[in-house]
Amino acid sequence: MKSFLFAGLAALATFSCVLAVSPEQRLVELANAGNGVITLNEDTFDLLTSPKRTWSASIQLTALDGRRRCGPCKEFNPSFEAVAKAWKSAPSDKRNEQFFATIDFDTAPSVFQKLNLMSAPVVFHYPPADGSRKPASGNISPVKYDFSEGFEAGPLAEYLSKYTPVPIPYRDPIDWAHWLTIAVGVLGAAIFLRFISPIVQNRWSWAVGTVLVTLVMTSGFMFTRIRNVPFNGGDGSWIAAGYQNQYGQEVQVVSFMYGLLAFSFLMLILVVPSQPSPSRQRMQVYLWTAVIMIIYSVLVSLFRVKNRGYPFRLFL
Amino acid sequence: MSTAYPVPSDVSPVTVKNAASLLRIVALSLISGAAIASRLFAVVNFESIIHEFDPWFNYRATKVLAAKGFYEFWNWFDPTAWYPLGRVVGGTVYPGLMVTSGVIYNILHWLNLPVDIRNVCVLLAPGFSALTAWATYMFTKEMKDESAGLLAAAFIGIVPGYISRSVAGSYDNEAIAIFLLMFTFYCWIKALKQGSALFGTIAAVFYFYMVAAWGGYVFITNMIPLHALVLILMGRFSDRLYVAYSSWYAIGTLSSMQVPFVGFQPVSTSEHMGALGVFGLLQIVAFAQLVRTHVSSQQFQKLLVASVIAIGVLGASAFVFLTIKGKIAPWTGRFYSLWDTGYAKKYIPIIASVSEHQPTAWPSFFMDLQFLIFLFPAGVILCFRQLRDEHLFVIIYAVMASYFAGVMVRLMLTLTPVVCVASAVALSTLLDTYIDPTEPIPAEEDVDDSASVVTNGSSAANAPSTQTQSKKAKKAAAAAPPSKGPLGDLVAATVSSTSTKAGASSKPKGIFGIDARLVVILNTLAMLFFFVFHCTWVTSSAYSSPSVVLASQNPDGSQHIIDDFREAYYWLRQNTPEDAVVMSWWDYGYQIAGMADRPTLVDNNTWNNTHIATVGKAMSSSEEVAYPILRKHDVEYVLVIFGGLIGYSGDDINKFLWMVRIAQGVWPEEIQEPNYFTPQGEYRIDERASQAMKESLMYKMSYYRFAELFGGNPGTDRVRQQQVPKVGPTLDYLDEAFTSENWIVRIYQVKKEDPLGRDLKSANAFEQGKKRKRTKPAPRRRAII
Repeated sequence: MKSFLFAGLAALATFSCVLAVSPEQRLVELANAGNGVITLNEDTFDLLTSPKRTWSASIQLTALDGRRRCGPCKEFNPSFEAVAKAWKSAPSDKRNEQFFATIDFDTAPSVFQKLNLMSAPVVFHYPPADGSRKPASGNISPVKYDFSEGFEAGPLAEYLSKYTPVPIPYRDPIDWAHWLTIAVGVLGAAIFLRFISPIVQNRWSWAVGTVLVTLVMTSGFMFTRIRNVPFNGGDGSWIAAGYQNQYGQEVQVVSFMYGLLAFSFLMLILVVPSQPSPSRQRMQVYLWTAVIMIIYSVLVSLFRVKNRGYPFRLFL
Repeated sequence: MSTAYPVPSDVSPVTVKNAASLLRIVALSLISGAAIASRLFAVVNFESIIHEFDPWFNYRATKVLAAKGFYEFWNWFDPTAWYPLGRVVGGTVYPGLMVTSGVIYNILHWLNLPVDIRNVCVLLAPGFSALTAWATYMFTKEMKDESAGLLAAAFIGIVPGYISRSVAGSYDNEAIAIFLLMFTFYCWIKALKQGSALFGTIAAVFYFYMVAAWGGYVFITNMIPLHALVLILMGRFSDRLYVAYSSWYAIGTLSSMQVPFVGFQPVSTSEHMGALGVFGLLQIVAFAQLVRTHVSSQQFQKLLVASVIAIGVLGASAFVFLTIKGKIAPWTGRFYSLWDTGYAKKYIPIIASVSEHQPTAWPSFFMDLQFLIFLFPAGVILCFRQLRDEHLFVIIYAVMASYFAGVMVRLMLTLTPVVCVASAVALSTLLDTYIDPTEPIPAEEDVDDSASVVTNGSSAANAPSTQTQSKKAKKAAAAAPPSKGPLGDLVAATVSSTSTKAGASSKPKGIFGIDARLVVILNTLAMLFFFVFHCTWVTSSAYSSPSVVLASQNPDGSQHIIDDFREAYYWLRQNTPEDAVVMSWWDYGYQIAGMADRPTLVDNNTWNNTHIATVGKAMSSSEEVAYPILRKHDVEYVLVIFGGLIGYSGDDINKFLWMVRIAQGVWPEEIQEPNYFTPQGEYRIDERASQAMKESLMYKMSYYRFAELFGGNPGTDRVRQQQVPKVGPTLDYLDEAFTSENWIVRIYQVKKEDPLGRDLKSANAFEQGKKRKRTKPAPRRRAII
């Protein structure tokens, strides 16, 4: 009798023990503990990516330690966590079929070696290798997310939703500060309209705005915006090599030169003729002509730097 | 009155006037000659040949039009394009260009001048550039005066920003479109100035021509309403505006709907809604004006204003409602990507992949416009000084076009005219000021107003002679157009925002002495000469390559022509059956159709993304995967462009990632862009290239037998500057059929299925005498023994 009871207890204990180590259950617990993200080490990595997995997993491989100086890792980490957190509100029957995990280089360098990774951050998505959700193509090797659309959470959620059982219910958080600024700006403009109406109605304020827009646009501002080019080369150089490339600082320099040249012409046209004293007028004419010559020469020599084959030069 | 240099005083005003107009005509015809001549580099350096890609289709369509007549052209269904789908050409082209050259061709033949249609096509763009110069002259004349007009015409005649799209042989829609653009704008300004329904109608007719000629007509469709809207907002509504806009919009829209490719778009898409909205707004404002003149009660006027606003809000919300309901199509991707610049890369890679849709870096602006680019803001400021209705047009145009040109290289073309106009206004004002012979007197004595602002012309085109100056001076004094306000200085202008007349006329204005004049004039002349040298150099070196024929220089400096494209297309024409389907990336579709006369799967009319993605998938998958795709589409030949041998960088391996991306857009499961990079994220073609890259059909076709050329030494790809693997790829499902002299074009024949039913890989292995690998133990028969 006693032994029977003992056997029963033992069986129960074994059973519960089995329950406890059921890998999926364990992963669910880990995920819940980490606010939707499993923090992996080498063992749990193998568990999560086991060849018999019936679940899918999105894994962020990163290096958040300060010594690694990985700026992009720090930039991307909140986005990944936000997407993982959003997954917690997915329907409960589907929720446990997909896991989000993160692994740091300093806790598991061997994983990085195994995956032959030289850079971070990287996001791999492991499709299920077994069970009903196994991809029809049979291809169970992980897919890599490419960061061509930046480190934002939105594109990541959109991309991963193609692989998750249901789309990730991720929504961009409302940028309250942004809207508040706009609201305050509009309100302020409305209040100050009485005071600033002379400015709004003055043609010269519009003229300045127009000219600034044209100057900035014709110096490649949109290029820097669209291509996300850096402000300068980092090592002190501010001229990007190549004819179809430029840095942010070039926009400033070139638009300033254009502006100065246009200003000199305007001085010659508008201000100089109304100068009543002949000697001062003569001085102004020579001054502005010299400015035009010098700045134009600088501009041409700058262009020669960009376009090596350009055959002409002025005084420089 | 003292003058800075002697001026003859015994010439009658009539003589001056006649001589001036004669000089203008001579100058304009010289400008036209220069405009045409500077576009002929391509013909002189190479030959009279159609350039690039799209022009080959236009040329082919024009040949059909010239040979078979307009109705055949209109109903033309082309079964060889987009095989096996075909293309309804008549309904999917802007026919303006073809019809224009068809008409010219017929007129020449009616005059018994047996000109080849090809020469009409090649020389159409230079011919129209002369007309553009004239239209710009007329437009600028409305902004300032004739002298500014001549300068603007000279600028646009030779400026590289326009030449880039209009050299001889670049037979594209833009060739005639810029003339139509400028002329429509001129008619609009004229209609607005005079309140003339006649000019409004002419503007509408040319707008119709523009709609029939170029998709960029949407620029006009939005520029004119924007101008009208700004005028209304500034309280400058007038009956002139009402008449001009209503006549332009009503006639222009109705006629534009006659173009089949446009159809009902003017009333159903967002791009055209602005024009419709402004039309409605004008009616409301005009009605309100009318009622206000008839009623006096204060309350009723308030009610009127309220009801006008209510109608406006109702109309706007109806527009929003219809958009949401889907009755009004939202912005098409091509236009939407102008505002949301990240949009195209994400959703329509096929638009983002085109090189002329890339954003513009500043060297391109300087290359295309040179010193005009910094005179342009000065000209805009001068427009603000007078700020007549037509000046507002230039200002709005300047802002919009400079934004668009920054977003897309291609739209530099729309920026160029306004840059020419604005900088001509600036430069001619400068020259007016400094050529004017009147010496101001530093005392209180009043200066003759009209003489001190004498506008003078043609100083850029002709060296300024004293006689011309005096003629101009007298002419101006005689004609005394309304724009002859004295030159207000910037300070005076900022203080009093009204006309500068009152504030400035008491002060002496003008330049003292001859040396100050000479310094500025010589400096300006030097800049103009530099501009001419620059334009000539850019045109001859950068913009005159037909890209069908390439040129390189021999060590001794002589020109060496690389003619691989035509060699290969001619080979196709001569050696393949007429219905053999050729697969290539879409860039070469029009050329294959035009030069080789063979059916193609995809071409530059990128209307079917899935079909293009199919080709992309075939190119980027392994042979085994690609072969069924090729067979299903009846492909007999596959054509790739490979520049690795001579360093031609525009080849297919460099475009390969776009093929992958476009294919990935349709088959994300099977094609994935990261697979084509090395694990380190590099795009390589050497030993370290990724597996997917090495197995792709494109890689294999490009580098097939390439390593053999180097006879055991490591071979180098001159475009990528990487060493190719010593053992090159092998092909089982394709046969090399033709490789051109410099290996730029490589053509492969798709093998038929094996007659014995084996798969081609094992059949090949058998041919080569290789033993089949026996992975399984021998079949049962042996077991019996």
